[in-house]
Amino acid sequence: MKNSTLLFRSLLVIILLAGGAHLVTYAAQNKDSITTNEVIPDTENTAPNYETDYIVGKWIVNYNSDDYKGAIVYDIKKEGNKFNAYTYEYQDEKGYGEKAEKTKTLTINSFDGYKGKGTYKIEYEGETYDVQCNIDMVDENSFKLSYDYYGYGDVETWKRFKS
Amino acid sequence: MIEFLSQKISWIDLEYWFYIFNDLSLLYLIVPFFVLELIRYAYLKRLNANVIFDSLANIITFGAFFAIEILLGILAITKLYFWIYQNISLPHLDLNWATIIACIILADFAYYWEHRMMHRIGIGWATHTVHHSSPHFNMSVAYRFGPFDAIMPIVFSLPLVMLGFDPILVLLSEVFVQVFQTLLHTEIIGKLIKPVEFIFNTPSHHRVHHGSNRQYWDKNYAGIFIIWDRLLGTFEPEVEKVVYGISEPLQSTNPIKVFFHGITRFFKKLKQIDGIHNKLLAFIKPPDWMPSNQKIPKS
Repeated sequence: MKNSTLLFRSLLVIILLAGGAHLVTYAAQNKDSITTNEVIPDTENTAPNYETDYIVGKWIVNYNSDDYKGAIVYDIKKEGNKFNAYTYEYQDEKGYGEKAEKTKTLTINSFDGYKGKGTYKIEYEGETYDVQCNIDMVDENSFKLSYDYYGYGDVETWKRFKS
Repeated sequence: MIEFLSQKISWIDLEYWFYIFNDLSLLYLIVPFFVLELIRYAYLKRLNANVIFDSLANIITFGAFFAIEILLGILAITKLYFWIYQNISLPHLDLNWATIIACIILADFAYYWEHRMMHRIGIGWATHTVHHSSPHFNMSVAYRFGPFDAIMPIVFSLPLVMLGFDPILVLLSEVFVQVFQTLLHTEIIGKLIKPVEFIFNTPSHHRVHHGSNRQYWDKNYAGIFIIWDRLLGTFEPEVEKVVYGISEPLQSTNPIKVFFHGITRFFKKLKQIDGIHNKLLAFIKPPDWMPSNQKIPKS
């Protein structure tokens, strides 16, 4: 078989398979962005569940890493059957706050009032990664959020924020 | 269909399934199958010291290979793969069914080319000849590796990382291809039904690959899918009874000899080649290549 035929057929295989994977990912991401642009149902529109809904509200997390020193206030909202946390306010080390752009950072997919599982966005060397995380309530005013991503893990303490 | 293919998969689930297929298969499939092969050898009155020592040598070469693989693997994965993934890759692909399936098929395709190179360039054959040097054909032969067998896969899997696949997914897919391959090293299973034989690599196809019969040389390089050989002109069906081994038999079960004989033979050949340019060419030219004015040396 000629080398040019080998090259042509091999490239065709690679383009078809990798192209297919990229197309599906692109289509899924497009769909996701359309979904997030849709009107988000209000907490009032979904059936209240008093065992779990107490997690709704503002929570503050202290960070002391090279990337960020200070605290971030998150706003947890119930949207459908999930709880989503959006960035609400950045606070520097002295406690001075600055309104944050509303970015979805955490999605709690399942929560029974004591424990939950979700997806947490972490930033590492300029890249954002969606990592699986666990939620463990300490009491009604604080919970632990833990994750482990290829050995890079952390446990964050989220405390109820009272402005 | 798109809905299903684009469905996101969690890393925890993915690693769990690969753990079952890749890691645990040794316990529930490979070891029981090898025991069955030993029983078959005994039944056919072919169970002798040579089979036992050859199998032991296979496992020992695997130990040596694994140590090199771990060292290279840690370096490659933590440094090279992630550097390439972060700096010179297409947009990163989500973890969904489409990317997992595509990654496994592409890893298999990369394996085809890597395997072909192992056979068709001098330095590749110097290490890969170890795998082919056993006169037997059983599951333990799948673990018979040469000293540099871990290097070529890294080179050939890097393009997958550049295409946007997560390095860990690439690694898991490569191991999956290897585990599938392992199961093909058996004489117990004859030919399977035609559609399977047409699409997949089977024990029959892989017996051909291990044959020292002239018509079987450099054929059936596939890992999972034999269609790559059909597509790229290297397919050969099993017709004549396969004689296992290499054209110049090793005739030793000493694990050290087994592990290094390819490299030793290659360096002997290099010694007999005149000129630096020709010596360098011997690394990338086919294993039977010699400068036009020289004859192939007998080892």
